[in-house]
Amino acid sequence: MSTQNGWLSIDRVRVELMRIAHSDDDAFLNTLDPRVLLGWYVVFVSVPWMFYDTLVLGALLAFMGVLVVVSRVNRILLAVLVFGMVSNLAFFGVVVWATGGDAVGAVRALVPYNLKLASISLASVAVFTTMTPSRLSKGLLSLGVPRKFTFSLAYGYRMLPVLLEEYRDIVHAIRLRSRGPARDGVLRWRHWWHLLWIGVRAFYPLIFDVAKRSRVTVEAMETRGFSRSLGDPSSRRLRFETLGTGTRDWAFLGLSAVFLLGLFWLRATTFLPGLR
Amino acid sequence: MADEPLIRVEDYSFRYPGSDESVLDGASLTVETDEFLAVLGGNGSGKTTLCKTFNGLIPHFFEGKRDGSVRVKGTDTETVDVGTLAAHVGYVYQDFENQLVQPTVRRDVEFGPLNYGFEDYHERAQRAIERLDIGHIADDLIWELSGGQKHLAAIAGVLALDPDALVVDEPAAQLDPHNAAHVYEQLAGLVADGHTVVVIEHDTELVAEYADRVVLVEDGRVRWSKPTAAALNRLDDLRERDIHPPQVTELADRLDLRTPDHSQRPVTVEEFVAACDTPRPTVSDGGRDDSACSGESIVSVEAVTYRYQTMDTGGGPVFDGFSLSVNAGENVALVGANGSGKSTLLKLLTGLIRPDSGTVSVVGRDTAETSPETLADEVVYVHQQPEQMFIEDSIEGDVAYYLRQRDAPDADAIVDDVLTYLDLDHLRKRDGRLLSIGQQRRASLAIALAMQPSLVLLDEPTGCLDMESRREVTRMLDRVDGRVEAVVVATHDLQFVASWADRVVVLDQGAIVADGRPGDVLTDQSLSDTTALRPPQPVSVSRRLDIDPPATTVSELAARLGGQR
Repeated sequence: MSTQNGWLSIDRVRVELMRIAHSDDDAFLNTLDPRVLLGWYVVFVSVPWMFYDTLVLGALLAFMGVLVVVSRVNRILLAVLVFGMVSNLAFFGVVVWATGGDAVGAVRALVPYNLKLASISLASVAVFTTMTPSRLSKGLLSLGVPRKFTFSLAYGYRMLPVLLEEYRDIVHAIRLRSRGPARDGVLRWRHWWHLLWIGVRAFYPLIFDVAKRSRVTVEAMETRGFSRSLGDPSSRRLRFETLGTGTRDWAFLGLSAVFLLGLFWLRATTFLPGLR
Repeated sequence: MADEPLIRVEDYSFRYPGSDESVLDGASLTVETDEFLAVLGGNGSGKTTLCKTFNGLIPHFFEGKRDGSVRVKGTDTETVDVGTLAAHVGYVYQDFENQLVQPTVRRDVEFGPLNYGFEDYHERAQRAIERLDIGHIADDLIWELSGGQKHLAAIAGVLALDPDALVVDEPAAQLDPHNAAHVYEQLAGLVADGHTVVVIEHDTELVAEYADRVVLVEDGRVRWSKPTAAALNRLDDLRERDIHPPQVTELADRLDLRTPDHSQRPVTVEEFVAACDTPRPTVSDGGRDDSACSGESIVSVEAVTYRYQTMDTGGGPVFDGFSLSVNAGENVALVGANGSGKSTLLKLLTGLIRPDSGTVSVVGRDTAETSPETLADEVVYVHQQPEQMFIEDSIEGDVAYYLRQRDAPDADAIVDDVLTYLDLDHLRKRDGRLLSIGQQRRASLAIALAMQPSLVLLDEPTGCLDMESRREVTRMLDRVDGRVEAVVVATHDLQFVASWADRVVVLDQGAIVADGRPGDVLTDQSLSDTTALRPPQPVSVSRRLDIDPPATTVSELAARLGGQR
């Protein structure tokens, strides 16, 4: 990890994270009622476990792929996801090959399981990165999740960039007073080790700073009526005022239901020996 | 209760558990409806603690031994909770950033009214947003706002609850002069609308312009309460508590000038000019010292372009083809509004960030090819927030860190010396993060001093503009004077610039709009309009009195005005 303005830096990570959290309020999934979306999510996270056929799982994955494209999920996030999947399979293959086994057969055996994981991951990414924090917390709140939890979600989004900035500043402060490695070593390993060491060390001051910040935040929240709102029915009602399902929501649910039925039909037909 | 004031503090004392000293010790104060009250006091005088009694934070949030009473609209704060009091008294913190708890401005402003279950929460938020004129940023993400915008957002969040009184802790401390004046304009507008505003403030020039009444807090007690002009005339009282009186008042004191009704010293530029009854002829100060600085180049920034990572990739560059060179022996002040690129320039000089194109070389090394760790052998950077400098769990450890990393043989002796010099001996075992802001600043200077650099970079070292921090920075700079090659200070504090710098570089949106001697730059009329800098009062007075070239410091102006009397 570098603190410079290079391709992988704390600033870069911060900006990408914030893009993921906030980039696109008009993304298709974000226009749906959060309750609908959460319900949909629960269904589509369970569905993959009902199938083991590659073709059906492939179709499911393709459906998720379309959703991900429609909801304009952050590309870097997708790249990380795909890289993780592919490298995992490849690593497995290499290990089997190195120990004298049938690498291709082993990888092929793992494909259905990985397809399930992939469609669940894509569903999660599509749902949770396109919903803005406020809609997500509203959705959870309306489903009975305690407000203390849903608030910390929105607050987390607010504080995330601040914390990363602070972390970067601490790393900077340490670098400016530390002595770097005299020689870089092979592949600059000493340099990277030095940065890694600082990266870990910077957490200690960070924890202190966060604790100090929270003190003010908690005070300020009280002066703005946070505790009072917890048991207040009118405050709760107002929060849900903007929630409501429309044609879009029903169309989305209908389409998903049709697709699910299609999947079951596909599974049924793939059992017919003639089609295999 | 018709005669009951908005807030009445009666003989209030407060002591934190386990402490022998009372933070408040029999404080008494009334705050009337519809007034603009400024609370002055030195560091640690108890002024913030006093203001935290107004909305029940004390006693409901801070445990401690207490005595006396605080009433808000006749209700004892002991008997109601903080949430209820918030409808009467809103509080804007000095570190207002931590007060903003939602991702966007509008959501944050709605936060309060929604919590109270107000049906019209949306309209309330909209009113507050419009009232403070921040409609254009209402749907922006808070983390992308500038400091000034965040401050207004924090005020809007409090205002949306429509409290009778608003307490604002050090509004000017973190903002550039233009933003600070803007915030004060808004606060004055609120007072005109029937709100009460209480500010805790160091900057007496803002107080003179906006406040109706001033109270001085000392040792946990309200020493006195006076109308603003009379209060700021108590020059010795202010100086004793490390508060700078307005420069014009100081000037009038030296020249023995009084307002036309002879009652007191003038406290604003207007009053001062009125007090100088006769127009004065132009006097030259006998020419400035124009000996050009001809040392070798210490810093050389050439054709640098630098762009920040932002959410939308189209964010403009901070610098585009920027060049600057600093020679040995120069004391350079970097001035400019928030966001003009001062801090970024300093960071480029530390090597922590590298230019996208162009070269930065510092003490003969190209920062693109030198690690920040290596550059730190020669360069020291003091962060704007002193807190960010603390990486160990004691001041002593922090000051020694650099030396120990480099196995300096005389580390202990240097640390002892520095700690003694900056009067930190008694705090050496304490954790830096738990000290007061003034002590933190001193400790950050100690860390820098122990590094024995040849180039010193200070980011906003005089902070909240109190006399103490200015004096300490000056002391620190005196100490390094013989040894360092050059000092670069980014600051809003033009009084400090006028008294210390020998070169002023004015930045505006990443470009140099002026570069020269303080006498020339600070007095350039066109600059104060374009770069949002408030010239020091002596400059304003000089202009009004047609003194050319204008004086930049009180002593200079006093000498020139006095010479003709």
